[in-house]
Amino acid sequence: MLARIEVTLRPEYDDPNAAGLLRRIELAHPEIRRRIRWGRSIDVYWLDLPCAREELIPACIDIFWDHVMQWLFTGNLIPSAAGKQGGVLDLMDASPVRPGNFFTIEKRFRAGVTDNVGRTALEAFEIVLGRKLEAAQIASGRMFLLEGQQLDEPALSTIARDVFCNELIETWTVLPEMELRKSDRFHQERIKRDLPKAFKPTSRLVTPTLNLGTVFGASSGTTLPPLMDGVDLCSLADLGDQELANLSHKKLWALSGEEMKAARDYFKRPQEISRRNVQGLSTPTDVEMEVIAQTWSEHCKHKIFGAKIRYQDFTSPALGQAPGPDAEIPTEIDGLFKTTIAETTQMLPKPWLLSVFDDNAGIVAFDQEDAFCIKVETHNSPSALDPYGGALTGVVGVNRDILGCGLGAKPIFNTDVFCVGPLTYSEALPERLMHPRRILDGVRRGVEHGGNKSGIPTVNGALVFDERYLGKPLVYCGTGGMMPRMSAGELCQTKRILPGDRILMVGGRIGKDGIHGATFSSLALDEFSPSSAVQLGDPITQKRMTDFLLEARDLGLYRAVTDNGAGGLSSSVGELARLSGGARMDVSRAKTKYPGLKPYELVVSESQERMTLAVPRDLLPAFLDLASRRGVETSDLGEFTDSGYFEILYAERVVASLNLEFLHRGVPRLQLEAHWNGPNQSARSNNAVPHGTLPARKDFQAEAGEVLLALLRQPNIASKEWLIRQYDHEVQGMSVIKPLNTAGSGSALAFSGPNDAAVVKPKPGSNAGIAVACGINPKLSDIDPFVMAQAVVDESVRNLLCVGAEFGTPESLLALVDNFCWPDPVGDPVKTGWLVRACFGMRDAALALGAPFVSGKDSMKNDYKGRKNGEVVAISVPPTLLITAVGRVPDVQYSRSADFKGAGESIYLLGSGRFGVLGSELASMLRISLDSEFSEQLRLGMPDWDEARRIYQWMGGGVGKEQSRMKAVHDVSEGGVLVAVTESLLARGLGATVVVPEGVEPWEFCFGEGFHSFIVSVSEADSFAVETDWTLNSVPFRRIGVTHLKGQLEVTGVSAGPRGWSVETKKLRQAWKREGFWE
Amino acid sequence: MSTQQPRVLVLAGDGINCQTESAQAFAMSGFTAEIRHLNDLISEKVTLDDLCRRYAVLMLPGGFSFGDDLASGKVLALKIQHGLNWELSKFADRGGMVLGVCNGFQALIRMGTFGKDISITHNVQGKFVDTWVKVAPTGSRCVWTKGLGTLDLPIRHGEGRIIISKNRRVEVLTKFERLGMACLRYEGDPNGSEERLAGLCDPTGRIFGLMPHPEAFVRWTAHPEWTAQPARASSPGQGLAFFENAYQEAIHARQ
Repeated sequence: MLARIEVTLRPEYDDPNAAGLLRRIELAHPEIRRRIRWGRSIDVYWLDLPCAREELIPACIDIFWDHVMQWLFTGNLIPSAAGKQGGVLDLMDASPVRPGNFFTIEKRFRAGVTDNVGRTALEAFEIVLGRKLEAAQIASGRMFLLEGQQLDEPALSTIARDVFCNELIETWTVLPEMELRKSDRFHQERIKRDLPKAFKPTSRLVTPTLNLGTVFGASSGTTLPPLMDGVDLCSLADLGDQELANLSHKKLWALSGEEMKAARDYFKRPQEISRRNVQGLSTPTDVEMEVIAQTWSEHCKHKIFGAKIRYQDFTSPALGQAPGPDAEIPTEIDGLFKTTIAETTQMLPKPWLLSVFDDNAGIVAFDQEDAFCIKVETHNSPSALDPYGGALTGVVGVNRDILGCGLGAKPIFNTDVFCVGPLTYSEALPERLMHPRRILDGVRRGVEHGGNKSGIPTVNGALVFDERYLGKPLVYCGTGGMMPRMSAGELCQTKRILPGDRILMVGGRIGKDGIHGATFSSLALDEFSPSSAVQLGDPITQKRMTDFLLEARDLGLYRAVTDNGAGGLSSSVGELARLSGGARMDVSRAKTKYPGLKPYELVVSESQERMTLAVPRDLLPAFLDLASRRGVETSDLGEFTDSGYFEILYAERVVASLNLEFLHRGVPRLQLEAHWNGPNQSARSNNAVPHGTLPARKDFQAEAGEVLLALLRQPNIASKEWLIRQYDHEVQGMSVIKPLNTAGSGSALAFSGPNDAAVVKPKPGSNAGIAVACGINPKLSDIDPFVMAQAVVDESVRNLLCVGAEFGTPESLLALVDNFCWPDPVGDPVKTGWLVRACFGMRDAALALGAPFVSGKDSMKNDYKGRKNGEVVAISVPPTLLITAVGRVPDVQYSRSADFKGAGESIYLLGSGRFGVLGSELASMLRISLDSEFSEQLRLGMPDWDEARRIYQWMGGGVGKEQSRMKAVHDVSEGGVLVAVTESLLARGLGATVVVPEGVEPWEFCFGEGFHSFIVSVSEADSFAVETDWTLNSVPFRRIGVTHLKGQLEVTGVSAGPRGWSVETKKLRQAWKREGFWE
Repeated sequence: MSTQQPRVLVLAGDGINCQTESAQAFAMSGFTAEIRHLNDLISEKVTLDDLCRRYAVLMLPGGFSFGDDLASGKVLALKIQHGLNWELSKFADRGGMVLGVCNGFQALIRMGTFGKDISITHNVQGKFVDTWVKVAPTGSRCVWTKGLGTLDLPIRHGEGRIIISKNRRVEVLTKFERLGMACLRYEGDPNGSEERLAGLCDPTGRIFGLMPHPEAFVRWTAHPEWTAQPARASSPGQGLAFFENAYQEAIHARQ
């Protein structure tokens, strides 16, 4: 029978859902928020279940009703579960103003969108009724009841559109009070109407009756008879260049004219024509073109990183200046990936490298028994359209990369880096873009649900603000995993498939969600970006699949595994097919969410929570049995072959047959021009200071204190605790060094400061740990991407050393993952020039520090084109490189945190401290107010890799126990020395005196940024011994101060002015904590 | 089984996350821990008798079973009740012990283990929170908290606020007091839980559920402030005490 169930908290209980929504309305539309006096949320379920009323009533009570706190409104089904008046009127009575002016917004999912709650509710009914429910449906939704004097439908519509719903996946209706008082919505006919309908088949798919004559006869023209219903033919043979390009654009294939020509010519090859004839194919099918488009997409093929590039440097080095390392950038580059990433790793042959670049993730040996793997992905385009869904699928997607790497690894931690526009942005928004607050709120929730629900701790991350991220937010999601080095007799990094192995798809079902994700992410965001590119995640289905696959791995039930991510089956099977030399699958055998999917949709859909496996025939029964016992769905699609072809069938009829060699190597190579003209003049003024001068304000003594407080409030520096604590960073019980260092935990006085990196202890039986850190600094890109890339590599490695990672011996595990998010460089020599410089800067730093790359990914189309206030605008993100570094901590009992531990600790600056104000947070901030007072030339901090190696070797050499005399170690990064010292003071609320050395420029010393520097504290008693050690090891150091209990930071020294200055630690804490906290 | 270590059954599957570290904590305390998938227990029709015969302890670990959909722990509770038909109070009467942590505790509450007049819902701040808290055991009823003083533990939940029925508040609190069921309280107020309740036990003191995660503090290096006291780095964590208490109880029960 049909039923509508409304579940609401009784009025005497606070409603956090409603409070959260009101907060979001306040952020988005404060003027509407002022008109709302009261609001409550109501969960709604629409049921269509094959059971009788007598059966339904007790089940609904069991499943939906918490009688302590809730009411159920069910029309006349279960009146006893509601209040006195039996419905929503009881709730209205609780409104502070009576009679009130009530409105309700109701939202539900669009047809075909994953409804996790509805699915769980259905499962609950099956559990309670003790039987499978065929042809049953439960949909979930939510109502928001609002009361306010001047509320009207337009205001409600605004709330619905901007705050309550994402119209890509949800629909909403506004119900005025009159409607609400009636009980029409509980009537059977109405419920039937309200239940989201399954997708109507767009064309009827039947087993085709083939008419060979028409198929073979048709070779030209665009109105061809179809091969079968649901398969369109794409005649390319007679199309000219422009027509080919148009066709590609129209079909969202994102293939260039050259690529379309290569495809056209492939289908003209005589041997292909005769082979295709035998299979009943002639004109290319849409399935084939989609497979080519997915496989050749920038997202999957990384054509820009494979391109031949001609690089020209138009800057001339200053007179008498020695050529820097960037002088080594060749003018002819034979692929950036090969020359800067792969070659770097080849030149650093570490014994612990097990698999690099080939697999879904980089794999390294953690110890004799276990391997560690790491992957970082971006999910920018989906997060721009649906921040929650995009980020959620970003997390669970990269988790699957780990699950599908080698023989399959268990995810042990996540890392997350978000780059968004300023939360205070107040101008008009360009069309189709969301406010950064809304983006961040959705992204945060997505990562929270993706990580927390999956039981994977989020241990490290960053949050970066820049106005240009308005055009596209960047969402980096990384995952680390562990697996035994031997599994069922095979090495963990093995990927081997034999002809005859079955092709198994496991996990979720295929739907229309996420069609064209890979090709879409290879295009700029514009007004016409397709909503179908958005996928919805389902952490619980993925969790079940993960548990199942790890069990199957240990039992040796499959031979190879990979993830279904971008490009869906087309990519996963197409890639695995290379291992055996071919594949033949029938996509009509795939389980789907609803009927009516066309063959090409089945092939390229990016529906989530799916993995593809190669299962040997003899193990198939055992594999299927375990899957069914674990509640995991499987589809046996076909088999791997050695035919050299990727063959796709639908209902036993061949709909695609592509030569693997052509598919994987046939894409024409890009040729790009790259120019370097010096710093980016066009960057927004508050980020770029290419020719500014130092804020040599007359009075450092009088104003530096205020500057420090202002820096601590900068969104890029201020506390991220509000975000970090919403992520579970400790599940799995491995946590050693957390994102925050805390003092007074569990008490009202608890305060937390930032740590540099996370340490986890992945094995109960071993004290060895894994440290993970990141480096990101897009500000420097505007000055020189070469230096930017050097800096982020250095910063990521430094962060690892802070917490106690090993460094410097061949066995020392230290690996890098690169993630480029760039504005589209194709056809833009300047942007290509930035990319070239970043790649070579990264290579320079990695080689200097002996840290190989093990994995990486690039996202090259981070641009927006659209309208703002009717005017055409284009926004490109700043060139952004994220380096994720992982290292080994030999013994976690000697790892370190960034907080000073008590009074009387000597504070040292390690590293020679050649800081520069150029590209610093100070420069970004002061550009606005101190313009006119700049007088001296600005400097840019530059690396000295010999010095770096000496310092890092000392900190990370040996087995980790040697340097336990360091009480606190914190790297000097955004905001410079004084911000670093402050951050180490925060947790305990300590004070410190810092002496600005003689002969330095005080602004530069205190707030400049640079390379290789740490703030270190050592107990007074150990100071002499440690200083001697540094001197012996040529580690540059400078004692700059001491900690004390005076509760203030005092800055003295000749350079700081005759009296120096001081700021109370309490104020420093307030400043650091205040900004950025908005939800 | 008298010559063997006491055994603990750790539930897994359907979104339970903390089975591995929970089993580890029991193993460190002397138990033999078995992690079993809920579906296997259901398809093998493991009865309450089997449970009593084979295991000294049943553990419901933390996690997000069924994605916290409908209500946290709700569908897991239904699945244990309808799929396995175990009456946990009978298990306790026959000498068994039960531990529910976080989502496991939520499921115990939904099953009515601690009475029909309490519930658990979203934190008052409306957010998930990962932080460390101080908790104080009270009373002597609970076998898991016996002899313990105030200790530090992490909480990691979005729904940890215990609610007592408004109409039956006095009766419930009197009952809790009389039977020693309110056995663990927060020293602060991290989530708005009534009476600062962090954990509850049943009237036998053998079924214990709590929101904080004792299995996440079995080594000192898990504590957020351990680097300030590096000399303690090799010490066990305070959370281990719960598991050791259970071990003593299991050994004691056998003699």
